[in-house]
Amino acid sequence: MTEFPTLTYEILTVGEEFVSDTHLVTPEDIEAYAYAVEDDHPWYAGPSPFGGPVAHPTLMANQALHLRHGKYIVHAGLHAKMHFEFLEPVRPGMRVRSRGRVIDKYVRRGRQYMVTEYVTEDEHGTALVRGQFTQMLIPEGTRHGDR
Amino acid sequence: MAIAERIAVGQELPPLEKEPSQRRIDVYSGVRPRSIHTDPAWAEAKGFRAPLAQGMMSTAYASEMMIRLLGPGFLKGGTLSMAFLKPVYAGDRLTVRGRIQATHPEGPTTRVTVEIWIQNQHGVQTAAGTATGLLPT
Repeated sequence: MTEFPTLTYEILTVGEEFVSDTHLVTPEDIEAYAYAVEDDHPWYAGPSPFGGPVAHPTLMANQALHLRHGKYIVHAGLHAKMHFEFLEPVRPGMRVRSRGRVIDKYVRRGRQYMVTEYVTEDEHGTALVRGQFTQMLIPEGTRHGDR
Repeated sequence: MAIAERIAVGQELPPLEKEPSQRRIDVYSGVRPRSIHTDPAWAEAKGFRAPLAQGMMSTAYASEMMIRLLGPGFLKGGTLSMAFLKPVYAGDRLTVRGRIQATHPEGPTTRVTVEIWIQNQHGVQTAAGTATGLLPT
């Protein structure tokens, strides 16, 4: 049984690792994503230069971004920076999962940040996307926004 | 005309217009309580005037621009780095802009670097970064 402590800057450890569950990429995932980002390129539903349909390259980014949710209750956060390397197209029918590791945490101008590097792989262990993202932690009981 | 003949450093790319409605944000992020993306009361409690689009949606917009430019050379071999500078709110109207910054030989092909930035309807830059990809051989 997994326990979920609340994520705080203090509890977070540089070097700690995360892993997602495996997700089967479906045509419906790709169709929903196309609607959400207003991009219905024909390669996402039909033939492509890779032989068959492919997914938007950023389709599985939320799997990586949510890695910490598999270990912690996350009160609130903001995404500050994102870096991707697209190695192989994600395709419908793949079973993909993401693994990540916290590589830094720091405080700047009174705000707390964590930096995670990650890789998303298919069921054969082939790396599809590598990346790194920086997330701001919004501590419980605080406000961040513009009002 | 071949893609390589359409690439010139300094050239601006056709802009994209995006309207991240609450419904699109809901589909992107998944509706749940206590989310600054899909729960207006929670967004308000966190100090935002409305739910926010996920920053990641802007990376999808930038990717679309790169695939329109380079096709498979972005899906396999592309890179994208973006910083999220200002919140994007449900109902904002965004313009995604890009400019070819550089080209460099890479093996048998050429890597193209594009500066990308996104502005809202008030002209405020909400995200900026750099993307690269390979020209088709």
